[in-house]
Amino acid sequence: MTTLITGAGGYLGRRIAAALHDEDVILAMRGADKRERPGAQEVIPIDLCEENPFAELDPRRITRIIHAAAVIRFDVDRDTARRVNVAGTARVREFAERCERLERFVLLSTLYSAGRRQGDVREVRHDDAGFVNHYEWSKWAAEECVLEPPGLPVTVVRLPTVISEDDGTVGQYNAFHHTIRLYYSGLLTLLPGDPATPLSLATAGFTVDAVTALLDAEPGIYQACSGPVSLGTAVDTAFSVFERDADFMRRMLPRPVPCDQASFHDMVSAARALRGGPLQPALASVAPFAEQLYLSKSFRTERLRAAWPGYRTADPVALVESVCAHLVERRFNAAR
Amino acid sequence: MDGLYAGSFAYALGAHKRHVRESAGAGLLRSAPEDLESAGFRWHHLCGPDETAYDLARAAVAEIAERGELGHIDAIVYATCLPAEWPHANGPIRDVKDLMDFPAGRLQAEFGLSRAIVVGLHQQACTGMLGALRLAGALLSTEPQWRRVLCVTADRFPAGAFYEQAYNLISDGAAACVVGRDRAPCRLLTVHQISNGGLARAGDDETVGTYFAYTHRLVREAAARVGTAPSALDWVVTQNTHEKAWQILARLLEIDHDRVWSPSLPDAGHVISADVIVNLSALLASGKLQSGQRVALVMAGFGLNWQAAVLEVAQP
Repeated sequence: MTTLITGAGGYLGRRIAAALHDEDVILAMRGADKRERPGAQEVIPIDLCEENPFAELDPRRITRIIHAAAVIRFDVDRDTARRVNVAGTARVREFAERCERLERFVLLSTLYSAGRRQGDVREVRHDDAGFVNHYEWSKWAAEECVLEPPGLPVTVVRLPTVISEDDGTVGQYNAFHHTIRLYYSGLLTLLPGDPATPLSLATAGFTVDAVTALLDAEPGIYQACSGPVSLGTAVDTAFSVFERDADFMRRMLPRPVPCDQASFHDMVSAARALRGGPLQPALASVAPFAEQLYLSKSFRTERLRAAWPGYRTADPVALVESVCAHLVERRFNAAR
Repeated sequence: MDGLYAGSFAYALGAHKRHVRESAGAGLLRSAPEDLESAGFRWHHLCGPDETAYDLARAAVAEIAERGELGHIDAIVYATCLPAEWPHANGPIRDVKDLMDFPAGRLQAEFGLSRAIVVGLHQQACTGMLGALRLAGALLSTEPQWRRVLCVTADRFPAGAFYEQAYNLISDGAAACVVGRDRAPCRLLTVHQISNGGLARAGDDETVGTYFAYTHRLVREAAARVGTAPSALDWVVTQNTHEKAWQILARLLEIDHDRVWSPSLPDAGHVISADVIVNLSALLASGKLQSGQRVALVMAGFGLNWQAAVLEVAQP
């Protein structure tokens, strides 16, 4: 059995590759040198934006594909999202169709491929409910690309927002960390979103375990969601951590005021003219997903739990607390 | 603040009126002029080279005097945002008397306010005028024989300074009014202040970032001091700042944005501590006020400080 991992140089791709260290794995990385890794994992350079990225790879070798390569920024522009996340996925599918021994084609997607829909979100194929940003749209479109036409042994794993390693350290900053930094620094004192909106946050360990557990599960759609935490609780937890910090307390920064969507939109719009300082880019980083915080969703996980005997929920408040403590300790300087 | 009134509102602006694009061309701004225009700013007023903040204060108080409303002043509370205009010394200052040329005393002498005592107030930045109202109220409460306190604020930016703070276009200007026991256009119900010295050295972006939560709290607490809710305020008179700011705050506070009043924004910009009086004067002159209506004056300033006064219309 040989597993091809695209995006193997990325944050999750690296960790999935490490979890499969004793298997025959081909690591497809953008810009990688074509050379063997010491751990016997073969590395091949792949750029999914090129016309025929797998030209040098024999499809007869491949029995599993884990497609992890993607642009995962909420503020990605439409064209980049289309080129990398949609057209890139189409090229992986084309290759998958030529893999005559293929047993599983796993697409790493996002819970937010659900787009603007609210309420219960089941582990089924979504129709187009509209999207808050191009990233969401492109991941939904990538799902469509692998699911239609049917015929491949496809598993779609919709991933949560990964905010830490299992030990509470932060391996990669994303919108969650950038937003927490805005509150710590006093650059943002409004809270976009409904405080009751559930957030699906997880560790890298949970996420990688979910992906690897589902490699042998029935093909289908799975939502990798550990216990959700409400937006309001997450922010309160962050401030409870901040308020143990002497520097923060000296500045006596207030807890944020929940604001309606129009008000947040107005603030972001006004901030576009505040050039030169940190506020404009900081708000620009929050804005592309802020609307999602008004769209309360409850992700169902029945299929995941049935397929993954090792599934366990984590205490989301403890997770937020440990991440915020790490960020404050490091003064938000850099990821680990 | 039972039985206290505020009236005789007057103001003066720097003599030279400039368009934001002209000032940008002169290197007086940090932001691009189109960005300031998108915030609602158009014109601002700058002092000439020989015009001082004191000149502006004198002009504002002279207007009150010309109306015959400057009699029987028991105290002058003189608020400034910037340090006093010290004389340009060619070398080290040997005699510090030169640093004590206090404008309140000069005002007292110039207008013959011989019975008035003087009080300087200069650490509340752009909220100083409302601090002056509060001090006036406190003085009248502790001095039963006193009847009238003149409140003044005046500032001009030094030559060469940017005429922009926290993304607001600045005008040099002054304002004055009288707080007293005699019936006047507005009853002074309360003045509320929040200070956060932990943000004393806040940059422009932190100032903007914290503006919303603190102003939200300020208005709620000020309204509560007079037994009401923000949504029950009839008018909110603001300093001149980005026009989106109060669209946001009005929603958060459930205040009808049509009742948020800052008509001098395009013509005057942010007049340091005086624009709330500029705007209140316009509201008083508009004919829109009715007896018994409650008007909140709201200001934010470096320090960081936030102040709000609540007035009740006595004589529309």
